Amino acid sequence: MILCKPIGQRLTVLFLSLFVSIFSVSAQDAAAGKTLFMSKCAACHNVFKDGTGPALMGLEERHKWADHNELLKWVNNPSAYMAGDAYTQGLKTKFGSLMTAFGDITLKDVDDVVAYINDEVAKKAKGPVAAPGDTPAATDSSNQNAIIFGVISLVLAIIALILMQVNSNLKKMSDDVEGILRPEPVPFYRNKVYIAMAAIVFFIVGGFLVTKGAIGLGRQTNYQPEQPIYYSHKVHAGINQINCLYCHGSAMESKSATIPSVNVCMNCHKAIQSYEKGPKLYTEDGKEIDGTAEIQKLYTYAGFDPKNAAQWDPSAAKPIQWIKIHNLPDHVYFNHSQHVNAGKVQCQSCHGEITAMDEVKQVNELSMGWCVNCHRQTKVNFNYSDSTGNQFYSIYEKFHNDIKSGKMDSVTVKDIGGLECQKCHY
Amino acid sequence: MKKILIITGCAAMVVAAVSCSNVRREEGRAYMPDMSYSRAYETYASTEALDKAGVFYNARPVEGTIARGDMAAYPYKNDSAGYVMSANVKNPLDPAVVDMKEAERLYLVNCGICHGTKLDGNGPLWKGGDGPFPNAPRNLLTDPVVANMAEGTMFHSVTYGKNTMGSYASQLNTKQRWMVIAYVKMKQGQGKTTAAPAAAVADSAKATTTGK
Repeated sequence: MILCKPIGQRLTVLFLSLFVSIFSVSAQDAAAGKTLFMSKCAACHNVFKDGTGPALMGLEERHKWADHNELLKWVNNPSAYMAGDAYTQGLKTKFGSLMTAFGDITLKDVDDVVAYINDEVAKKAKGPVAAPGDTPAATDSSNQNAIIFGVISLVLAIIALILMQVNSNLKKMSDDVEGILRPEPVPFYRNKVYIAMAAIVFFIVGGFLVTKGAIGLGRQTNYQPEQPIYYSHKVHAGINQINCLYCHGSAMESKSATIPSVNVCMNCHKAIQSYEKGPKLYTEDGKEIDGTAEIQKLYTYAGFDPKNAAQWDPSAAKPIQWIKIHNLPDHVYFNHSQHVNAGKVQCQSCHGEITAMDEVKQVNELSMGWCVNCHRQTKVNFNYSDSTGNQFYSIYEKFHNDIKSGKMDSVTVKDIGGLECQKCHY
Repeated sequence: MKKILIITGCAAMVVAAVSCSNVRREEGRAYMPDMSYSRAYETYASTEALDKAGVFYNARPVEGTIARGDMAAYPYKNDSAGYVMSANVKNPLDPAVVDMKEAERLYLVNCGICHGTKLDGNGPLWKGGDGPFPNAPRNLLTDPVVANMAEGTMFHSVTYGKNTMGSYASQLNTKQRWMVIAYVKMKQGQGKTTAAPAAAVADSAKATTTGK
């Protein structure tokens, strides 16, 4: 009994280690293959998609690649292999360039990488990993609330009317009983008190609406047009962290922030040909959007054929006519570089949380009062003597002296001429 | 008669309330349109009217001209011969004078998204294979192809695009592209001096002998 236990334990340990080692051999292969693939192959190859080189899925069914020795010969010296081989010559014409030689790859490395590729294919065949499903944007609860409130107040108004009618009827009946003679009641639409009250309410409500409408003329708060391509700023600038200035670079240098050319889109979308990894997309009206179809729209503008990427001619691209959302009237001058480069104002200060918007809308009213308010409050980074300060303001000698002598503690945009009419209107 | 009027009125109100969407797809009206809309051609305004009037306009600079503050254009074309020739082109900017802070900013905005803020080839678009980009961006510090690439060849690739990378000529002007390359070379130099100081010295010695 005493001996039995250790033997039993040893046996289980033995079996376990055997079990682990059998499985770990194949696992290690794929893992080593992954490291190799990522460091050497991934720059040009993807398992599932054509890139600079062909997709490697189902590699062993093509050409003679089932024999890994052939594959090794090709990888070690592609140009020598290609000389006597029509298949790889065809690959070169299709993809436009010959594969880089990897002289230090061994047969074991080839086995590992192929194991990794087959592993990935098997994983994908098992079915996609359930992506965290995004629920559609909650339909406007405020809109529904408004309807509910409207219905409730309508019901209450009807009840009030009925009660008033009942009240007057009862009064009339009691008057009849007591024998008091009263003149025939005037109907409410000829009652002077009612008419006067209705007129006052009409003037107040009408005046409010007219003033509001007049102020709103030429202002576009909440303007959210449908663009020619459903481009989600949330996916690009939010999830994928692309800097605003990647596409809108001239906000640093000129009056207008760039509307990116098709070339800028194609920098990434030459390779990213489908929308797979992000959340589901919906328009503001709740319609579901197929991201891959939207990328296809871009290809139509660019004249790009994903199956024939090497032959793309960028100069044949046609501009996408994006709809400008933030408009200022012609009599207002606004310069992006003055704010972004000199003033170091964040894009979000005026454009709102762009990184959370699928379809961009104008958040601020861009009215004069809004501009002036910001110019009154915003402090300018004036301490130019240390490295954090802004050299742009070094010429304001008086203010610097005042700050030094303690007369002022900070300088706002207003102080350096931010409220002068001619700065924006000329 | 009165009842019918009331019922239809109520129905119309309900329909109006339900069909009202608070997504604003129209830009609205302007007060005094002649002061709101520019009569002159503004940036990004449609130029169709010019085409109709027979005025030639293609929004491109005249060939052979250089924008103020920019540098002379790169001489080689986007072909394999140009790619080979590019290896002999030297960076016209002196790395000691280049504003590295601005060069770093340009790198982070335009290149960091794929090649990573640390130049390790692991930017947010790749994220070790989890990002949307299908191919691994080059590690600018350790990848043998890029680490030993001539700066002229780098410039050629950034200007015209290479493999899955696109052309950055529309985002960065000639001077900015050279600044970014000076920044990358500086970072590569730092990597080399910490890893193998002797090799870097040999490299720079070679550069001084071959340059002019």
